[in-house]
Amino acid sequence: MIRFWIPLIGLALFFMEPIFGLFSPLQLDGGFYYIVPRFLIMFLIFIAVYYDLKHAIYYGLFFGLLYDVFFIDIIGLYSFLYPAICLAAGYIVKSIHRHLVVTTVLTLVLTALFEFILYQFFRFISLVSMPLDVFLNTRLLPTMIANSLFLLMLGWVFKLVIDARLIEREKNPRLS
Amino acid sequence: MPQLFSNKRLILLLLGVILLVALISYSLRDRGNVSPPEQVIKDAVGVGQSIFSGPAHFVTGIFDNVDSLLNTYEENQHLKARLEEFASVQAEVKDLRTENAELKEIVGKEEDLRDYNPIQATVIARNPDQWEEKVIINKGSSTGVKENMAVMTASGLIGKVVLTTPFFSTVELISTQNPNYRVSAMVLGGEKEVFGLIEGYDAERRELLLKRVDAEIELEKGQQVVSSGLGGIFPKGILIGEITEVTIDEFGLTNLAYIKPAAEFSLLNHVIIADRVAPEVNGEDNGETEDAAETEEDGS
Repeated sequence: MIRFWIPLIGLALFFMEPIFGLFSPLQLDGGFYYIVPRFLIMFLIFIAVYYDLKHAIYYGLFFGLLYDVFFIDIIGLYSFLYPAICLAAGYIVKSIHRHLVVTTVLTLVLTALFEFILYQFFRFISLVSMPLDVFLNTRLLPTMIANSLFLLMLGWVFKLVIDARLIEREKNPRLS
Repeated sequence: MPQLFSNKRLILLLLGVILLVALISYSLRDRGNVSPPEQVIKDAVGVGQSIFSGPAHFVTGIFDNVDSLLNTYEENQHLKARLEEFASVQAEVKDLRTENAELKEIVGKEEDLRDYNPIQATVIARNPDQWEEKVIINKGSSTGVKENMAVMTASGLIGKVVLTTPFFSTVELISTQNPNYRVSAMVLGGEKEVFGLIEGYDAERRELLLKRVDAEIELEKGQQVVSSGLGGIFPKGILIGEITEVTIDEFGLTNLAYIKPAAEFSLLNHVIIADRVAPEVNGEDNGETEDAAETEEDGS
């Protein structure tokens, strides 16, 4: 049964992102802070690191396409970036130790990179005109704080599920 | 060290990038309609999203209730103070309404720009990356929602419908940076109604810009701005906001006013889509119809 857990968790995270998005922008001391939930990409990076790069890329392609069509109507943006980030994670992890702390840091760095690439893209098509410092202060920083909290709370659960799946796959190689 | 990309992979990568650019440029065009496969995906994802958003709204509802419970005493004091005023205003409104109806009957005017059929809808998701200000609502073309219809909450205008599928539609909020987003508006409270266009949003001040108001007209702080209904799509009289500052625009020819929106854009839940009773025109709510634009092009 564990083999279905990974896609189901992915699906649940995909649907949870827009709901957390409803709380944003957050108002604190008269300033507005945007918090962008990036749960799915963090989970995908965990899959790429601990489970299987190929699976991570397929999931990335699938969820990226859904994201593109449903939310932003620019097809090809997330469906390219999700697999690309997974690919980067897959290459980086070959040369580092797969400890949970290391993976968490790597995931956060890649998520920040992901956010930054998106910012550059939307600036490029001149959908936004936000200066860089405003972006860093009101979007990237709060987003990364919130997402690292999420990852600190649930990162070990991701790892637990993926490890369970790996054990199952070893026992039963035909099911992979 | 193994070679990162073999020749075959390099070609695949290049092809992928070309495909990507083609897809992005295809979807960046201003598309009026979504293609059938996209509609299917949108509706399928929308169904899943509604399952998740139900409990979420329930939980936020509880927090809201607790929050308003804490403020009950202050609110009660405030409301008591307003109550007496309210009774007299209500009597006046009733009187004016009947008078208005009678006068309309006398002149035989049936259609009014103010009339609209409200369609109730629930927000099921907000575009999580928040670069574009879009929310998704759970009513689509099967319930009569059409593109460019006005969307509001109880407190005021929040946006307009930009895309519809059979069961869901996408609403672009009025706080968007999109330069083509215009709403024809009018300022109340002066001697005469003053007309202008809501055009653009100041992200730093979080206020809307009211442009194209004649420089000779004096605008004042605190005056209310509502939709004028002259754009051809929105009904008349939806509250947009309140003027906070009046300046002259960059060319020095017209007034520019900053407007604080009446509605809150975060934590949206229940919204109303206004389906205008009076005939609507094609195109945007800025008085320019598609037909007119075409003839203009032909003429030039």
